[in-house]
Amino acid sequence: MTIAIEVDNVSKQFAGLRAVDSVSLSIPQGERRVLLGPNGAGKTTLFHCISGTHQPTSGRIVMFGKDISNVSENARTALGMGRTFQISNVCTDLTVMENLLLGMLGTTSQKWSMFRPVTSDKELIGKAVASLERVGLQGRENEEVKYLSYGERRQLELALALSSNPRVLLLDEPCAGLSPSERTHFSKLVSGLSREITLLMIEHDIDVALALADKVTVLHRGRLIFDGLPDEVQKNADVKEVYFGRL
Amino acid sequence: MSYRVIGIVVLAAILAAVPSIASEYWVALLTQVLIFGLLALSADLLLGHAGLFSLCHAAFFAVSAYTVAILQTRYGVTTIPAAVAGLVAGTLLAAVFASAVRTRGVYFILITLAFGYIVWGVAHRWASFTGGDNGVTNVPPPSLGGLQIVTKAHYYYFVLVVLAICLLGYRILTTSPFGLALRGIKSSESRMRSLGYRVGAHLYVAFIISGFYASLAGVLYIYYNRFVNPVAAGFPISVEAILMAIIGGTGTILGPFIGSGIILVLRNWVSGFFHYYTAVLGLIFIATVLWAPNGVMGLIRSWRSGNRGEGA
Repeated sequence: MTIAIEVDNVSKQFAGLRAVDSVSLSIPQGERRVLLGPNGAGKTTLFHCISGTHQPTSGRIVMFGKDISNVSENARTALGMGRTFQISNVCTDLTVMENLLLGMLGTTSQKWSMFRPVTSDKELIGKAVASLERVGLQGRENEEVKYLSYGERRQLELALALSSNPRVLLLDEPCAGLSPSERTHFSKLVSGLSREITLLMIEHDIDVALALADKVTVLHRGRLIFDGLPDEVQKNADVKEVYFGRL
Repeated sequence: MSYRVIGIVVLAAILAAVPSIASEYWVALLTQVLIFGLLALSADLLLGHAGLFSLCHAAFFAVSAYTVAILQTRYGVTTIPAAVAGLVAGTLLAAVFASAVRTRGVYFILITLAFGYIVWGVAHRWASFTGGDNGVTNVPPPSLGGLQIVTKAHYYYFVLVVLAICLLGYRILTTSPFGLALRGIKSSESRMRSLGYRVGAHLYVAFIISGFYASLAGVLYIYYNRFVNPVAAGFPISVEAILMAIIGGTGTILGPFIGSGIILVLRNWVSGFFHYYTAVLGLIFIATVLWAPNGVMGLIRSWRSGNRGEGA
C-alpha cells in the first residue's frame, strides 16, 4: 500500500518547550486519520510541520515517498497538499469568488498571468461556482468575505483547501466554533469527500472525530501515546489517564 | 458598467478640452498633476494592492529623470533612446531595491526610506556627475521622429496619450490573476502561501513593475520640467506620492490622480498667500485619516452604496 504521509521521528523545539517530541506516524493513501489530544498536546504544531509552516527541529516528513522536509510550504501545495487553518484564514477583503479563484490558480502557472482579466476565463469561473456549490456556498459568490458568517467562513476554508485538488488534506479543527447543526452539515461534507484523498484531521468533537476516522492518533505533551482503531481509543488506559486523570 | 463608460468618455472630453478653455498656467499645472498622479499610482500598486508602504519611489522617478537629462544634454542622445534608457535605469534600480520585499511592515518602510536616501545622497553629493544642487539644466524639448513638442498644450496632450495607454495596462494588470494574487497577499500572506503562492516572488515582481511606472513618471517629468535637481530624489517626493494615493483613495486608478490634484492645486494656490501652506496639507491629511480613511474614492463609494460606512 502507498504511504501518503510519513512523519519520521519529528521533533519541534520552541525555546524551552518541546512542542512535538519524536513523533512518528505513517498514513496510507486514502486513510482518514484523526489526531486527538488535550490542549497543548502539539497537534497544531505537528500540523504546521507537515504543511511546511514550521521547519521541524529534527526528523523528516515524507509525502508519497518524497522527502519534503526542506520543501517550502507553497511547493508542498503544488505537490498535492491542502490545508485548513484552526482560526479561519481566508482573504477577508476579497469576495468569495476571488478567494476561490486564487485557490484554483495557486498551483498553476496562470497565477503569473498579467495581460488579461481573471474574470475572462469562463471555464475557471464555472469550476469555481461548482466547488462553491459543493461546500454549500452557492449564491454567495460576490459577497465580500468580511460579511460572511463564521460558519460560512469555515465552509470557504474547506473549499479553498480543496481548490487545488489535493491528494492529502489537512483539516485543523474544521468544526471548532460551529453550532451542532452546522457540525452535522460539516461532517457530512467531509465524509462525502472522495476516498482518494488522504485525510489528516484534528478534531475535539469526539463524536465527529470517531464517526469519520479510520484510525486515531493521540498526542499528549508532544508525544505519541496511542495509535490505533477508533473502537480501541476509548478503552485505552493511557488515553483515559490523559483525559480523565488516573482512575 | 455603462455609467463607467459614460464617465470615462466625459472625463476624456473634459481633459481634451482643457487647453482650449483654460490658461497656460492651468494647463501646466494639470500636466504636473497627471505626472505626479502617475508617480502616486506607481507607489499605490504596492500600497493599495500588495499592502507594502514604500518610501523610495522618488528614487526611481529621479534616476530615470537624471538619466534622460544627462544623456540628452551631455551626450546628445535623442529623445526616444534617452527615454528608453531612463526607463531601463529606473526599472533596474527597482529590481535592486525590490530586495526590500524580504521585510514587512515598519522594517519595509525603514529599508525603503534608507534606499531612497542613498539615491538622494548620490544626486546631492556626486556633483561632478549629477551637477550637485544645481542639477542638470537645459534639457531640450522632446522630439519624436521629426515632431518637436514645444508648447505646453502639446506636451499636455502627449502626457494624456501616454497616460491613457499606461492606465489601460495598469487596469488589466490589477484585474489579472497576478493583480488578484497581490490583493490576496495583502489580505492574508499565510493563506496565500498555503494555496501555493511564492509570496516573495510575487511581491518582487510587483515592486519592479511599480518601479517601472515610477520611472515613466520620471521621464514625463524631465521633459515637463526641463531640468532636474536632487529635490526630485528627495524624501518629501516619496512621502507626497504616498499621501496623494491615500488622500485620493488607495487601490483605485483615479484616486492617486485626485490626490495629486488636491495636493498640487492647494500648494500652488495656498502658497500664494499663506507661507505655512504645508500646515494646510497636514490638516487635510489628518482629516483624511479621521473621516475618510479610504480617501476621496472611498467617500464616493460609500455615498453610492448608501450606509455601509467604513469610517474609523
